[in-house]
Amino acid sequence: MKFLISLAFKNLTRYKRRTIITALAIAIGIAMYIFIDAMLMGAEYESVRNLKWYETASARILDDEYWEERYQYPLDLNISDPDPILERLEAEGITASKRIVFTGDMILSRAEFGEDGNIPVRVTAIDPSRDFDVFHFGDTLIEGRFLEEDEEAILIGSWFAEDIGASVGNWVTIITRGNGGFYEAIDLQIVGILNCPNPNVNRTLIMMPIKTADYYLAMDGAATEINIRLPDQAEVEQEIATIQGLLNGNGITVMSWETMAKDYLAIAEAKRGGTGMILFLIFIIAAVGISNTMLMAIFERIRELGMMRSLGMSDMKIRIAFMLEAAGIGLIGSTIGVIIGVIANYWIINVGIDFGFLMREMDIGYRIQSIFRGTWNPGTIAVAFFAGILISTVVAYLPTNRALKMDIPSCLRHQ
Amino acid sequence: MISIDQAVRNYQAGETVVRALRGVSLDIEQGEFISIAGPSGSGKTTLLNLIGCIDALDGGEITINGEAVSSMNKKSKTDFRRINLGFIFQTYNLIPVLTAYENVSFVLSLLDLPEQEVRERTMGLLKEVGLEGMEHRRPSRLSGGQQQRVAIARALIKNPQVVLADEPTANLDSETGEEILKLMKEMNRRHHTTFIFSTHDKMVMEYAERLVMLHDGQIISDERRQ
Ligand SMILES: Nc1ncnc2c1ncn2[C@@H]1O[C@H](COP(=O)(O)OP(=O)(O)OP(=O)(O)O)[C@@H](O)[C@H]1O
Ligand SMILES: [Mg+2]
Repeated sequence: MKFLISLAFKNLTRYKRRTIITALAIAIGIAMYIFIDAMLMGAEYESVRNLKWYETASARILDDEYWEERYQYPLDLNISDPDPILERLEAEGITASKRIVFTGDMILSRAEFGEDGNIPVRVTAIDPSRDFDVFHFGDTLIEGRFLEEDEEAILIGSWFAEDIGASVGNWVTIITRGNGGFYEAIDLQIVGILNCPNPNVNRTLIMMPIKTADYYLAMDGAATEINIRLPDQAEVEQEIATIQGLLNGNGITVMSWETMAKDYLAIAEAKRGGTGMILFLIFIIAAVGISNTMLMAIFERIRELGMMRSLGMSDMKIRIAFMLEAAGIGLIGSTIGVIIGVIANYWIINVGIDFGFLMREMDIGYRIQSIFRGTWNPGTIAVAFFAGILISTVVAYLPTNRALKMDIPSCLRHQ
Repeated sequence: MISIDQAVRNYQAGETVVRALRGVSLDIEQGEFISIAGPSGSGKTTLLNLIGCIDALDGGEITINGEAVSSMNKKSKTDFRRINLGFIFQTYNLIPVLTAYENVSFVLSLLDLPEQEVRERTMGLLKEVGLEGMEHRRPSRLSGGQQQRVAIARALIKNPQVVLADEPTANLDSETGEEILKLMKEMNRRHHTTFIFSTHDKMVMEYAERLVMLHDGQIISDERRQ
């Protein structure tokens, strides 16, 4: 065995150029695997975080029937008396804030915007003193100021502002239907522009004070939802059960962000499947490279093989010798691949790639506005390393077997 | 010791059948130094391959030490070659990445002998074949004659009963060829190893103690000399 190992490694140096080229092919495959995995894992991690920070919070209390009808944004399926619930949650040390979410049409006047226009919008009415404890809009203001308790003002997302050509100080009118179905027109001034890292939010965000909304929509103190922020390490399901207990029915229910983001998570799952395919292809390419190299290496050595077989070296030992040689190529390739992969990871994790141009134009599901950053994933690195060695070894089996099928005199006659 | 009885070997070459050996019978005793001679295509290599258990008979029988070759399976043939047979090839067939020492010692490592013994035997034999001081050279740094000396050492290192050499001098100039033959003969005398070598070179035949002439797959003469 010792002899076979030393023979394999000596043979690796025999065709230096070929060994290096094959090892590099493996290395590129492995580095790409590590890099792509780090990037996608990072993007997913950040997407989930931005989803929770700006869209779903950790959990949400709703009227029992609200979720079914959520695309209608019904004002009548509301939490009629949110404040006692908020107090109870606060007593338990749970951070929460109420909101009213409604839809309407935003009217843009020629006087303010150069031409008349109207667009369907969704408005989120927030409690300015508490909402930023639950969501993370606190550091996203890029122009103007935040909202005050009780004013006819809105904050909008910066991409939305760009799309409608709005700036701080402009007035808009929102036409909607209040609780009960009456028509209402609300004049609101844009007082601030937020740049939200979640592109889905940044593209559509309109925020106003909940007191103003309550007044115009005749909500009579009701809210459509209460959002809850749980600590990062919290056992969400367990906390939800606790909160559900606190609510003791009353026609309201609490949902986790995972339930609310089911569609998103399903898409993420599908993406992971897609990457699996890419990685599989990378490995196939590396495998074909190794297989070819070994095929050439073996067929150039047919006479040597014939000699070894005449001297009574068993097929098994010959197989092991060639597979060890391939394993050596795999080891070199894997090592270089991991080194390149780790360097590439340093870059993707600390610098990242700016996909802003892409995210601005279309929604590809990721909740990242511009810079995609990777994340470390030691498991993937280890798997890639060993897979490189294993695949090289396994792939050498076929050409070796082909050579062993030739009879010995033919091997010895081979040129 | 080796008994060949009506050995027949046919090759299929496209549509036609080449009758490489047409009933060859021959008895070889332990310690003989025997040359199989004949023109190109007469069946020399075929006969050596059959004795060496790397080719299969189409008819007749070869018996070595009382065991019929045709009754051995692949594994027992491999084992038999590993233990009892040495090969010397026309083109030396050394492993280029190994040194002279390693090219010889690897045969012993196939036999799982202790390292100490492998060392002593290899160094001793390399000295015997005149390669002292060149143990750590690779084949590319040895002349043809020196490479064939390594090959002789590789064939002899396991103390086989028989060494088979197919045209061992064909790639060497006549002077070097003679040296190789002298070395083979010396080894034959000293170790009492049976040597069977093929050639179509008159000079080489001169060295044989027994000369078997083949023609068209048949023995046309078998004479003992000296
Ligand atoms: N694998 C094979 N397939 C077809 N024909 C073969 C094969 N091996 C040998 N032959 C034929 O068998 C005959 C004997 O061949 P062999 O190689 O034994 O001759 P040889 O005496 O060794 O010749 P040389 O001096 O050229 O080496 C030749 O006609 C050769 O063409
Ligand atoms: Mg021949």
